[in-house]
Amino acid sequence: MNKALKSPLTYILFILPAFILFLGFFIYPIFTAVNNSLTSWNGISKTMTYIGLDNYVTAFNDIAFWKSVRNNVYFIFFSCLVQVPLIVIFSLLIANVKRLKGLYKTAVFMPSIMSTAVIGILWGFIYNPDFGLLNELLGVFGVEPIYWLSDKKWAMISILITNAWQWTGFYIIMVLAAILAIPKELDEAAAIDGATGFQRAVKITLPLIMPIVSVVIMLSVAGAMKAADIILVMTKGGPAGSTDVMATYMIRYAITSFRHGFGNSIAILIFVFTMIITVLYQVLIAKRTERIEY
Amino acid sequence: MKKKSLLLLMSLIFVASAVVTGCGKNNNTEKESAPTTEPAKTNNAAEVKVNDEPFEITIRHTQVGEAKKFRLAMLEDVVKQTEAAVPGLKIKLDAVDSEVNRKEKLRGEMAAGKPPEVFDVFGSPDAALYAKEGLMLDLTSILNDLGIKEKFNTLAPFTYEDKIYGLPIGGSIEGYFYNKEYFEQKGLKVPTTIAELEQVAEAIKADGKIPFAQSSKDAWIPLMTTNNLWSYYAGADITYGFKTGATKWTDPNVVKAVAKHEEWVEKGYYKKGELGFEYADMRNQVITGEAIMMMDGSWANSVFRDPAQAGDMVGKIGYFNMPPVNAGDPIIVMQDANNGYGFSSAVAEDPRKLQAVTEFIKNMWTDEMQLRGLKEDGVLPAMKISLDQMKATSDDALMQDIFKAVSEIGTSFPAFDALVQAEVNTALSMGIQQVIGGEFDAAKMLENVQAAQEAANATK
Repeated sequence: MNKALKSPLTYILFILPAFILFLGFFIYPIFTAVNNSLTSWNGISKTMTYIGLDNYVTAFNDIAFWKSVRNNVYFIFFSCLVQVPLIVIFSLLIANVKRLKGLYKTAVFMPSIMSTAVIGILWGFIYNPDFGLLNELLGVFGVEPIYWLSDKKWAMISILITNAWQWTGFYIIMVLAAILAIPKELDEAAAIDGATGFQRAVKITLPLIMPIVSVVIMLSVAGAMKAADIILVMTKGGPAGSTDVMATYMIRYAITSFRHGFGNSIAILIFVFTMIITVLYQVLIAKRTERIEY
Repeated sequence: MKKKSLLLLMSLIFVASAVVTGCGKNNNTEKESAPTTEPAKTNNAAEVKVNDEPFEITIRHTQVGEAKKFRLAMLEDVVKQTEAAVPGLKIKLDAVDSEVNRKEKLRGEMAAGKPPEVFDVFGSPDAALYAKEGLMLDLTSILNDLGIKEKFNTLAPFTYEDKIYGLPIGGSIEGYFYNKEYFEQKGLKVPTTIAELEQVAEAIKADGKIPFAQSSKDAWIPLMTTNNLWSYYAGADITYGFKTGATKWTDPNVVKAVAKHEEWVEKGYYKKGELGFEYADMRNQVITGEAIMMMDGSWANSVFRDPAQAGDMVGKIGYFNMPPVNAGDPIIVMQDANNGYGFSSAVAEDPRKLQAVTEFIKNMWTDEMQLRGLKEDGVLPAMKISLDQMKATSDDALMQDIFKAVSEIGTSFPAFDALVQAEVNTALSMGIQQVIGGEFDAAKMLENVQAAQEAANATK
């Protein structure tokens, strides 16, 4: 072996560029945010006044903050309990179609390559109380117009549906890739043994794609915790803050109000909450489904 | 082995040269920044060479969309004049939506200490905050040199510690645009009291139309109505006292004013579901004839005078001030000049950029441009121009209505967001949406706003 490769210094030199980038673009900003969160910085001033944990106390005592946390929880539940099952079902269906598979794949993937602004406007038309597609359809069955984005009863679910529509296709492609990677022999053997299509899907395919489903859940949870753009485009957190999530709460109550110290504390809380949820998920659920051997 | 060493050596030289190049100073930039009028060192001392090496400044503007096309055309003309007057100058126009610029982009740039050389800015409270941090150019001496300092109606929103840090592009008032043709057909008259306004609204509602167009997705829109109402019920001066603690949002007269707005919502004077509507939607309600009246800033006249936007409704829209509570009382109206341009303090370090900015100010703030803004864009002048001159400039019926409204003003006040802290504005914005949505009544909403006000007042 080359002498250079035996020296630890060589390895340190190899990892140094990546480590510097990691420090500069991840660790340093986090520490800066933590530092700023302990101040009453207005986002512009060159001086900062340290106020300890006051920003965190303010957030914890604010009902509007907890309402925004609740909306993030809605996002997570909707992702895990509605979106993920739909992703799996559609993936199984598309994997088993004999014709036009490419068309289906393209069709479901399309929304995820569209910009959130376009999707917001598109669904804004669909939800329009006067001429929107949804109310037109419901009108056929005699349902009174629903004010989807104006009524706080409906605004959150409207956003959740739109968000799910945008990202479901992306995850379907991931799960579909996992399904198509399963050796055909397994499915054929089960079919020869007399297993029905449903049984093969539930007993063979589903257990084998659990690692990727687990990743999809993880990504959905992380996405749900940092959701902001779709809300800003569709409702701006309204009506009256009813669709605010933590990120939009941060924009409304901190950034636009020259309270960057407070904004940083909310950003840290988003980070901490997301870490807790993902670590818990990893430890309690994901670890069990990590390895699949054919 | 030798080959490897050579390769390593060459790689080292390449990397080292790249690093040295990257870290090196660009002396050309320094050359470019040399004063324009400074004589170039030539053999002939009498020969003075003007520095015409290319340099660039950026103007961040918010003239985005169809409604602002006239204002953009004016800006482009000023840019051409300025470029022609300053050798080597290239002006880059950077268009950004007004709200995005005010609340996100400009703030981010200010935080980084690198705003564009020229930028759209709101006077109070934004400009004062930026000026306090030394991020805005002090224009006082430039205005004195140009002799235009005393020509403005007011520079108060852009003044911080007796120095001027920005210039308003135009003025505005808030009042009701209304469907004149409909009023004539139905025999309705421009109301002279709030009670008459309500009678008109009732008549319109009974006719199956929407009395007031309103889009409350952005809370500043309904707050125009609320602000004018509380200035009538509690007096125009009350807003000045919130920041000092001299007055309170829970004042019974403010509660009465917000309750009046709440009452109008409950009576169905606004379209159902308007909490989710965008700003453009309420104008469309008037243009399509669905709604008859609309509280908006005088700037909205450009929409109703443009056939491309207002279609058949051009010439059918009029304007009146919100009437007082009692007949004969003075008309109290929001009137200010809080939006304009500010300049980066970094400009002072570069004489050529300073010259470009001075030239820009010289070309932009003239009587001619103010009157052109009035004629083409319907923006009231920020500079002192007589009412007669204004009337002579635009013979448009809607503009004449607005001039009449200006002449009727007894007391004017700046918009509330120029007088209270940003966090109070946030609380008020949330509050008015909660009132419109039926979540809180006026009293409860104002208690919350007062709590936000006290918290903001306690923070220095």
